[in-house]
Amino acid sequence: MPSGKLGAGVTNEVKKMVVEEAGDDLRARADRLQLSDEQLVEMFRTMCEIRHFEYMADKLYAMGKVHGTMHLSAGQEAVAVGTARAVHVDDYLINHHRGHGHFIAKGADIKLMMAEFLGKDTGYCRGRGGSMHIADFSSNSLGANGIVGAGIPQAVGVGLALQMQKSKQIVLAIFGDGAANEGVFHEALNMVALWKLPVLYVCENNKYGMSMDIERAAAKLPIAQRAESYGMPWYCIDGNDILTVYDTMKTAAESARSGQPVLVETLTYRYFGHSKSDRNLYRSKAEIEEWHERRDPIKRFEAKLTQAGIMDEALARKIDDDALAAIDEAVAFAEASPDPDPSSLTEFVYA
Amino acid sequence: MPVPFIMPKFDMDQEDATIASWEKKEGDFVKAEETVLIVETSKVAIDVPAPATGTLAGILFRQGDTVPVTTVIAYILKEGESAADLPKQAAIPHETASANATVPEQAAATVVPAVTPIAARLAKEKGVDLSKVPASGERITREDVEQYLTASTVPNAKPGPNSRMAIPATPAARRLARETGVSLESIQGSGPRGRVQAADVSSGKPARRAVTPTRGDRTAQVVPLAGMRKKIAERMTASFHDIPHISLMVEADAGALEDARVVLNEMAEAEGGAKISLTALLVKIVAWALERNPYLNASLDDDQIQLWQDANIGVATALPDGLIVPVIKRANRQTICEIAAALADLSGRARDGKLTLPDVQGGTFTISNLGMYGIHQFRAVINPPESAILAVGAVVRKPVVINEQDEIAVRPMLTLTLAADHRVIDGAVAARFLADLVQAIEAPASLLY
Amino acid sequence: MPEITYLEAVRQALWEEMKRDDRVFLLGEDIGRYGGAFGVTHGMLDEFGPERVRETPISEATIVATAIGASMLGMRPVAEIMFMDFIYLALDQLVNQAAKMRFMFGGRTTVPIVLRMPGGSGTGAAAQHSQSIESMFMHFPGLKVVNPSTPKDAKGLLLTAIRDPNPVVFVEHKLLYKTKGQVPEGEYTIPFGVAEIKRPGKDLTLVANNVMVMRSLAVAERLAKEGIDVEVIDPRTLLPLDTETIIESVIKTGRLLVVHEACQTGGWAGEVIASVTGSRAFDYLDAPVRRLAGKDVPIPYNRLLERAAVPQEEDIECEIRAIVTGKY
Repeated sequence: MPSGKLGAGVTNEVKKMVVEEAGDDLRARADRLQLSDEQLVEMFRTMCEIRHFEYMADKLYAMGKVHGTMHLSAGQEAVAVGTARAVHVDDYLINHHRGHGHFIAKGADIKLMMAEFLGKDTGYCRGRGGSMHIADFSSNSLGANGIVGAGIPQAVGVGLALQMQKSKQIVLAIFGDGAANEGVFHEALNMVALWKLPVLYVCENNKYGMSMDIERAAAKLPIAQRAESYGMPWYCIDGNDILTVYDTMKTAAESARSGQPVLVETLTYRYFGHSKSDRNLYRSKAEIEEWHERRDPIKRFEAKLTQAGIMDEALARKIDDDALAAIDEAVAFAEASPDPDPSSLTEFVYA
Repeated sequence: MPVPFIMPKFDMDQEDATIASWEKKEGDFVKAEETVLIVETSKVAIDVPAPATGTLAGILFRQGDTVPVTTVIAYILKEGESAADLPKQAAIPHETASANATVPEQAAATVVPAVTPIAARLAKEKGVDLSKVPASGERITREDVEQYLTASTVPNAKPGPNSRMAIPATPAARRLARETGVSLESIQGSGPRGRVQAADVSSGKPARRAVTPTRGDRTAQVVPLAGMRKKIAERMTASFHDIPHISLMVEADAGALEDARVVLNEMAEAEGGAKISLTALLVKIVAWALERNPYLNASLDDDQIQLWQDANIGVATALPDGLIVPVIKRANRQTICEIAAALADLSGRARDGKLTLPDVQGGTFTISNLGMYGIHQFRAVINPPESAILAVGAVVRKPVVINEQDEIAVRPMLTLTLAADHRVIDGAVAARFLADLVQAIEAPASLLY
Repeated sequence: MPEITYLEAVRQALWEEMKRDDRVFLLGEDIGRYGGAFGVTHGMLDEFGPERVRETPISEATIVATAIGASMLGMRPVAEIMFMDFIYLALDQLVNQAAKMRFMFGGRTTVPIVLRMPGGSGTGAAAQHSQSIESMFMHFPGLKVVNPSTPKDAKGLLLTAIRDPNPVVFVEHKLLYKTKGQVPEGEYTIPFGVAEIKRPGKDLTLVANNVMVMRSLAVAERLAKEGIDVEVIDPRTLLPLDTETIIESVIKTGRLLVVHEACQTGGWAGEVIASVTGSRAFDYLDAPVRRLAGKDVPIPYNRLLERAAVPQEEDIECEIRAIVTGKY
């Protein structure tokens, strides 16, 4: 059973966010979840890769190599990796604007991502989209969205198509806590529940919109309990504990696959500001440090893996170094790539 | 190699940042991510962390300096490195930087006049010394350089060969004229406002001819339809063509009015005022009647009727070569003496050709008086965009029935003929207006004194 | 050729395409048993079942988003927006999403959706159910805007729209639903970006869309008896817009009038006029180029006011006379 709370039938007792530390016995949990050591280490490696990607992105931005804006997900790696590993590789993904981690976890090529990030012709979107619009249709990643919440109703259509095509795939639609206050959130939840579509909604609650604390933005928490209005099961879980994420998403994905859509809220935290000009005036240094020191998803997972004897310090170091090297390689590829030719400007407006 | 410390970029639209303060000084040991300086942009102040762990060295910019993003501002010396490892340009400012309070000369010396890239290119192409170009704003722009160039070449400037022809013509007519080698100036345009149409060119109609035309055995002196005559022709044709005119005629006994005029003129003479004419009296009376009958004081504009608040009454005035209609503004708010003075002024200036545009604009109703020529009655054509015109004949003494006993007396009778735009004014409305006029003419006392 | 109504033509296109292609399905509000607000989908629920004639809750944004999501997985959704004015609720999905997705994802996806929407005044439905906003959609690269005026065009263009790989806004006009016209037998499509000269003439080029085509043709026939020979052109698709046919016509006639029901300011007449006056046709213009459009007001309820808000036959006649007789 997932360590989070199943929403069906639960109403009044859930008054605040549930942040639950998973049990310490990693080995027992992994066995129950049928996760091999290799799989666990791979999950750790991917988390490291995401972390390095985000810090590199930040560095490239400061160096003026990035033309536009970016939204970094450092601190949220457990949600990305835990979710991606719990669903099938050919399941569909609808991503949000802070979505680098989800793409990497789903198996996107970081070279092409980095190239897109630098606006190069070799990037996923041929330099037309940038950080906010990375899509990889070859791996069923249907794209990230620059409009908050806009992907939520599109998942209805993907789910409907899957249902009409009698597919066994599901669509995973991820959005932030801020997006849950858009009107389409309610339209879409109503319709997926009404039509019993294979949709798994993941609300990645990192506590803030740009600066708006979810406690000031939502009349009732947790956000996930809103699913109840539409007769959908829901969970609100610790999004920084990767096995809790994995465990919950497994259950939720199978529910969605059987025609019962689910909403999972993952409580997590973003380290970087909304953008670089963010002075963090809306949150305290103490709060940021608390998450870095005590709740960091990578540190927590690393400690457990080491404790369980699955990984030693040397291996952890090597994995981290390899991940960094991969990012460096991606940057080199991106920097060596050509810009799109301005004469191709109007390509892709129409098919 | 020392690690370059660059001015970071924070924002999509950010080009530079100003150093608010250095939190660490030359030679301090700093840890990666530790705050080294605070910079300000137009939006915020930001803590800038060290890019690496090591010794801060080679500071190139000082507090208050505005630095473009990605410019190197300092270096971090790693273990085992010293100032000697710094790139060359870092060494000199390092000296001044350590002398803290003064502004570095180096920075001042490198200041070039701020100039836009396009302006710089243009200046280079034209060999312009940018230091001599005054900037209109913060930076020298292309316009500034162009202006500088123009200013220095103005004496030689001549009008180009392409000065535009001021002849109205459609594009098609211009093309035909060009293709057939015909000068547009030689063609009389048949279009609105004399615009030359394609057909005017292709028919080769040679207009504006100066020869005397003959028609059978008759000859005529040709007067070009131009200027005021042309304007009158156009306006009257348009009015007569577009406006459904109705006309109503009425006679009024002008005796009381003539008596009043005598009295008023005595008063005016005593006070040195203008002589009060019958026209002035009629302007006053008409203005009063227009207030009571707003549809007579109206303009039809496409799909709406504008009912004007004030009665601006035009008085048709004959000139040797035409006609002009100066307007007495707000006649409804003026006393008879003021109207008389305005009328005298306007007609005087009309004869001298000294009317200005405002004198003849804004009319809402026109009075045309041909009484002085002995005309008893006539019909006038409405002066658009007005909706009515009053034609005033001579005061004629003639026998009329003066009471219900059918007694006849000789009375000074005045014939008024109203032409009205039937789209705006119904017959009965026009009739009520005329009835008001008659009443006021026959009992003018309350209006005039 | 059989004569059918515009409404039947739209239904025939949907029906035949759903028979031909399993990927095509309908979605929208009350399109099932009710048959849609204007009865276009009447009878289709019984024929195709509730899965392919999918009735939705009143959630316009998600209707459009659903079409988008399904289209990315290879489906060919045709959504009905009950009244054109309701599309505002879904503008983000149409404009930020459907129109831009292919481009911003570097050409790696297509969004083949059709949004059918009846627009236009004349039914007393007042301001929020009567607007003509086809011009607005022309401002969004990535969309196609189709606007048929006859049953023949409605059917042929709708088939093209469903088969087109891009998002298509298919504008119908409420007053046209009951009009009749001949429709070719068998399957036929009409390409986008090809205007049709509905009536040839030599004195003036009149460009009009949807219901204004009908009004303009009626006026043209009347004026022909007086020797004024008007060429009436229906662009049929506003995006892409066939400016070439219009330019050729203006070179022939030397005069141009554009008539549309949409409000004048920012209306598509401006686009046509700019294209023509900026082209080689400039040298052939022999009169000021004019537009006759809806007044810049929301559509009023009262019958007289509603009539006054959009061009009527007498307005068109008056305008043509003024241009041809050189009044401007």
